[in-house]
Formats: sequence, structure tokens, C-alpha cells
Amino acid sequence: MELERIDTQKAYNLIKEKIITLQLKPGAPIDEDALCAETGLTPTAVREALKWLAHDHLVDITPRHGIRVAEANPAELRELFEMRLPLETLCARMAAERATADDIVVMDALVREYERVKGAGNVDTLLDLDHRFHSALADAAHNRYMRETLERFFGLSERLWYLASPQIDWVLRALDRHAELVQAIKARDAERAAGLMHQHVLDFQALVERALGLV
Amino acid sequence: MTASQPATRTLVLGIDTGGTYTDGVLLDYHTREVIASCKSLTTRHDYAEGIGRVIEGIQIDNPAEVKMVSISTTLATNAIAEGKGARVALILIGYDKELAEAFQLHQRFGTTQYAFFAGGHTLFGEEKEPLDLQGILDYVHRVKDSVDALAVSAYFSPMNPEHELRAFEAISRICDLPIVLGHQLSTKLGSVERATTAALNASLLGMLRDFVIAVRRAMEARHIHAPLMVVRGDGTLMSEEFAARTPVETIHSGPAASAMGGRFLSRVDTALVVDVGGTTTDIALIEDGRVRVSEEGATVGNYKTCVQAANILSIALGGDSHIHIGRDQKWTIGPARVVPLAYLAHQHPAVKRRIAPLLQKGWGQIDLDQLEFWFLQREPPPGMLEKGSREAEVVALLREGPMCVTDIVRRLKLLHAGQIGAAELWRQEIIGRAGLTPTDFMHLDGIYRAWDAEMSEIAAALFCRNLGLDVKTFRDLLWQRVDEIITEVILSFLTGKKLAAPDPLHDVDMGRWFFHNSLQAAHPHLETTIRLKVPIIGIGAPAKIFLERVADIFHTELILPPYYWVANAVGAVAGSVMVSEEALVYARLSEDQSEVVGYYVQTSEGRTYYESLEEALGYARQRVRTLAWEGAVRAGAHSPQVTLEEVEDGLDTYRIRARAMGTPRLA
Repeated sequence: MELERIDTQKAYNLIKEKIITLQLKPGAPIDEDALCAETGLTPTAVREALKWLAHDHLVDITPRHGIRVAEANPAELRELFEMRLPLETLCARMAAERATADDIVVMDALVREYERVKGAGNVDTLLDLDHRFHSALADAAHNRYMRETLERFFGLSERLWYLASPQIDWVLRALDRHAELVQAIKARDAERAAGLMHQHVLDFQALVERALGLV
Repeated sequence: MTASQPATRTLVLGIDTGGTYTDGVLLDYHTREVIASCKSLTTRHDYAEGIGRVIEGIQIDNPAEVKMVSISTTLATNAIAEGKGARVALILIGYDKELAEAFQLHQRFGTTQYAFFAGGHTLFGEEKEPLDLQGILDYVHRVKDSVDALAVSAYFSPMNPEHELRAFEAISRICDLPIVLGHQLSTKLGSVERATTAALNASLLGMLRDFVIAVRRAMEARHIHAPLMVVRGDGTLMSEEFAARTPVETIHSGPAASAMGGRFLSRVDTALVVDVGGTTTDIALIEDGRVRVSEEGATVGNYKTCVQAANILSIALGGDSHIHIGRDQKWTIGPARVVPLAYLAHQHPAVKRRIAPLLQKGWGQIDLDQLEFWFLQREPPPGMLEKGSREAEVVALLREGPMCVTDIVRRLKLLHAGQIGAAELWRQEIIGRAGLTPTDFMHLDGIYRAWDAEMSEIAAALFCRNLGLDVKTFRDLLWQRVDEIITEVILSFLTGKKLAAPDPLHDVDMGRWFFHNSLQAAHPHLETTIRLKVPIIGIGAPAKIFLERVADIFHTELILPPYYWVANAVGAVAGSVMVSEEALVYARLSEDQSEVVGYYVQTSEGRTYYESLEEALGYARQRVRTLAWEGAVRAGAHSPQVTLEEVEDGLDTYRIRARAMGTPRLA
């Protein structure tokens, strides 16, 4: 068991959480020493974790500016959504064509779990379910490059939720779409699945842009 | 030491966490010479703490020379026995709920949180009924926040693990809990044992992982960069990664390691190994260099598992068993374990000053509660004790230093010791107890003199004066009692039989007569003897005094190998690295189930199909051989040797097992 890897994983999770929940603001410089002191982890582990985060596009490492939290400016947002929209749409289409019975049971279970817990109104729980649903959908597309690419977007997207300072009803409205999506996949209706996902991503984009005062 | 020391040595560090002590030895692997050793009290509340102290305390001149660290640990065994494992939900697929409830199997599952779902396979690997995946996922969603791990066991999963695998895939997409699958732990068909093993394994995952990490950190602090191994219940070694995945395999690893250590140091391949520790005496048999394992799998507490582990018999008698006056006013030994007074006085000289003046008093004036001391072992965790409670008062008193029970009673203004009520403090090892022990009598005899022998003398004198015996007479009675207990337990171990309880009113039991006559030769004309055909290897500091006469009784040789007092820790590095792989070959039936149309081979990789049995068996043999060999090399074995074992299970089913074993690769 490599201690270094264990510590790096720990550092990665801690710092990622800080970035996504905006405790570390977009564009802010990252103080490695402070992170070490705060997490009690070694400089090696923290440095390695920052490299992983750079790979997730949550951290920018440049010779000139050192290490910073990735920006979330309008240009960044546009680039992100330009890719997410067609990819997620394609993903939904592929899932409708290829999902196995077990894939559908998993998505169904996540929707049912959402119905069970939505009353409690815990945003963290709901965001976790949202993430798991999109991951399950990506699994159902049965294309590992799709899976990998989308997984890297999830961290960025999750940060957008926090940037848009999510109101619980927004989260609920977005998650309500999942049930329809599962219905379309069950019916093997690729067009409908793609259409629903397209709208789902557009809605999210509009939400974020409105929240950030971009429109 | 001569000048011709070899330039490079291959040193290995072995650590054994026993019930009382954590022992560490630094050993030259090739000469089998112990270079340094270190002993520290086992810290049950966090085993890693005691191990850390041993790694810190052992003298290592050049950490780069250490090529391997290996540990045997009672962590798993104790956690199961004490019910301290993590919370587990057990998912049973295709099990018959009514049957399980009728036979009260729920008490054997190793967790109280379990549920039944449709699914499972038949003895021929065919789907018995469709898997209720939806039911499983809903259940997981319901329980996931109240458990720490999940275990899944499907009916006949060794034949066809498809339902377990599908459940794993689906569950891991809805939550992040660790998931243990039954078929990965055992290919044996006992469905209850498999479920139990999976649940226990799941309950130990986090604990063993934390343990391994803590040991790694202690190694790091001493700049030891070497592979870390963990001893299995059969004395073989597994890599730390493997141990973190299958902690349940460490059941009984302590006694197994002792047996291996005895063999390694004595170079005797067949013997009875008796390990006399502080708390217990453990008996195991080695045959042809291997520890004999129990056929049906290890049992811990109420749980029957399918883990292959040493066949051992353990009794609560050791060097630190408490010698005290029992309820019937007769002296007795054990089963409680206390810290020897010699050790306590060595650590706290004030203890002797408290006791010594009592020697001036006459018979009948000595209260034996004065020979039992309590001491603070560690500060209670914040918030554990209620302010002003009796327990908090006891802890406050003991902060002054060890105190005898008489003084505690007086200071708390109580009438007798029974009123103190500190059971929870003992259990959590906040406070410890010290008293008169066989270890003290060993100090008296000069057999073992690590600590304060004068204290032992005073305590023994006081104890014996109270009994009205002189010390020498009592000592002989004590060792005689020890001989009887150990002789009886060796006989039980080898025969599986017990000595009937004595009936003083109507004593016609020949078994008991044989037993006593063989020990004491009481009959004027009839001599009976017991003869053990293999030598006894003695291990542990008290082994010499405990076993010399026992070997005489058995008319066999007592082998005390060099460094026998730390052989348990040597045993942690003495085993081979072992990886086993199994394949099941079983018949495939035609649609109408009337004839055999071919054979399936189920390995850890998956299932393949063959038309003839020969082909199937041939493939199975070759595949498990390769898998085991590769696994052993990955786990750190040096040119492993593979042995195949084939068992016919009836119903056209064959079990093929490859064991790849090799000495650890010491780079």
C-alpha cells in the first residue's frame, strides 16, 4: 500500500471539495504551504493532488502565474457548454440504443431514490444523485472515451451549481427531468432521449448564466 | 563479533501482536540469527500504537538493510470475538428465507443487518431465478447511510458468480461503500459459511486498512522502505494489499506465526508447538513444515467461516495469569490476565515501598487485596467519563500512581472491592491490573529476571504466608497445577476428547484415573505412561518452566530453539508467500436436464465451456497453475513452486486448487 498514493487521494478529495464548493474562489492563487498546514498532509501529496486537479481543469498551473484555481469567466463557460451540449446529447442517444436491462435498473433506482429524498431538500444529497445519474447514463452509453470525457466535466459542472448559488427548486426542476429521460431510454426512443438531454443541458446553462448575470 | 562480518546482510523485521505483548525481532534471514528484539504492551484500543512503539524501539543501525517487514495480528480475531467490526449490510441472493429463519441462521451471519432477494444459481451453474436487482438497489439506498460496508453472497455463486458480479456493478454505481463478494473469498459450497465470511470480511475492511496504513507510517518514520507482509491464519504470508482486501484471512494468524517461528528456528519439520504467552497457551501441530489447518474452516466466537486457518487450541493460561484466592477460598490460577508485580514495581518503585512493610505482619493480618494493584494505563478519551462519577474518581486516584485495591477502597470510603465498579475501565484498557503471576515465580527461581525480582519475592512470601504454606511448597504445587492443565489440553488437542468432570462421591472414571496415574504414578503395581511420538517445541518466555516437566510426562523431547522467547515474532517472517487459486469444473446439463452435454470451468477470471471432461480438467489445471504463479510473483514470492490439489465433490463436480508458494523476495 503506497502511503503517497493514499495521501494524494486524500489531498485531492479535500482540495476538490474546496474548489467545487467555492471555499477556494475561481482564479484565486493557491498557497501550497497553507494547504499542507490545513490538511496535515505532506507537500508531495498536495503537489501531486494539484496536478490531478489540473487534469480535471479545476486548477491552472502556469509558469508565469503559478498555481491558481481555474477561472469561471464567461469565455470558460461558453467553451464548457459548447462541448457538454453535443456530448451529453450524444450520450443520451447512445444510452437509449445500448443500455442493458441492468443499466436501466440502476437509473431507475436513482430516480426512485430522488423521489424518496427530494422532500428533505438536502442540496448536497440531490447534487450527489444528479452526478450519479449522469455517470450511470454515461456508463449506459458503453463507450469508455465518452465516459472518461464526461467524468472530467462533472467537477466543473458541479462547481457551476455552487456558483449559481443553487436554489433548491432549481435543483429539483433539473432532477425532475431524469424520470422522463429514463422513460425514453426504456422505450428505446433515441430521438426523444437526445432531445430531453439537449433541453436539460440548455436549461442548466441558462440557469447558470442568469445567476452569474451574464444575460 | 568477528571482523569478517559480511558486507551486506538481509535483515527482516517480524512483529507479533499478542494478547499481552507486541514483540518485534530484527532477524538475519539467512543465518536465522536474532539481531535485536523489542517488547511493548499490546494496545488493544489501537494495535498500531503498540506496533509503532516496537518499530520505534527496536535497534536498527541501518534501515536500508531491512528487506521486509511482516506482522501477525490478533486484530481480526479479537474484533470478531468482541463484536467490534464495522457495520455491515449483508445481501443474500437466492437464499431460502424460511429455511434460514427456521434454522436460526441469522445468528450465524456475522451481522444483524441482512435481507433476502430473488436470484441465485443451481448446482449446475444455471440461473435459479432472475436476479431482483431493483429490490437490491432500493435496499442499498435505504441502508447506505447506516452501514460502513456491504457484503453480497449469492446461492451457488462459486459455480456461477454472475449474480454477485451484476449486483456489484449496479451497487457501485449508486453508492461508494466497499462491497465484498462471497465467491471471491471461497469456492466452497457452504452457502451460510460463505455469507458469514463475506460479512465478517466486510466488517474488518476499514480496520485492517487503517492498521496497515498505521504500520506503514511507523516504518516511514524510521526510514524503512521495504515490502510489508501480513501473516495468514495458516502461517503463510500475504502482501499488504491482499490483506487489506481479505482481512478475514488473518484469523488465527498469531498462533500460526508462532508455530512457523518454532519450526524456522528449530529446523524441525514435524512437532507439537506449544506457545506459552502472557495471556494464553496455544497449541498447534506442524507436519512436514506446514501448520496443520482445520479442515472445515476457522471458527471465531459463534461464527463458522470458510477461512483456512491453523487448527489451534488455546487456553487462558500464561505467564501473566493471575494467581489469586478464588471464591471457594482456594488458590487458583487464571483465567484473568494481569501485569506481573515484578514488572509494575520495576516501572513504579513506590509499589514495593507500599508492600514491603507488610512482611512484618503475622499470619492472618494480611489482606490479599493489597497484592492487587490498579494503575492508569491511558487517559480516558474526552467525554467518556461523567464528572463526579465513581469511574472518574477512580481515574483521578490512579493519576497519583498505581494503588492497591485496599487503598482504593479506603480512599473511596467503600466497604469492599466489589463496590468499585470499574469493569468498563478495564475493558477499554483505561486502567490495568497488576498481581501475582507465574512470571513472578519465574523471577523468584531466577529463570527470568527482566524486572524487579525482590518485589516478586515479597509478594510470593505474603501470598504463601496467607495460605499457611512455605514458598517452596507452594511453588511446587503451582508448577504441578500448570503441568496438569497443559497435559490435559495437549491430550484434548490431539484426541478431540475431554476429561470428564470429577465426581468425588462416586469416583469410578477410568479415564481420569489413567490421566492422573500417568502424571503422578500413584498406583503401587500398575504403571501408565503417555508417549508423544513427536517432539514438543516450546515458545514464549515461560516455555522452559511450563513445559520441561510436561515433556517428561509425554516421554518426549522438549526443543527450546534459540530465541524461543521471541519465536512468535520470528514466525511472522518465517512463512512462505502463498497465493492460491481455485477452479470448479462441473457438468453442464442438456435443456431437459436428462444428460450431461459438457463441462464448465469456473475460475476467478470467468467461466469457459468444454465438451469433454478431460479438456475441461486440462484447461482448469493449466489456468489455475498460471494464475496462482502470477499472483504469487505479484505478491512478492521468489520463484514460487505451484502444487495442485484436486478434490471430487460428487455430482460430477471437481475442485482444483493451485497453491503457489515461495520464500519472500528480499531485494
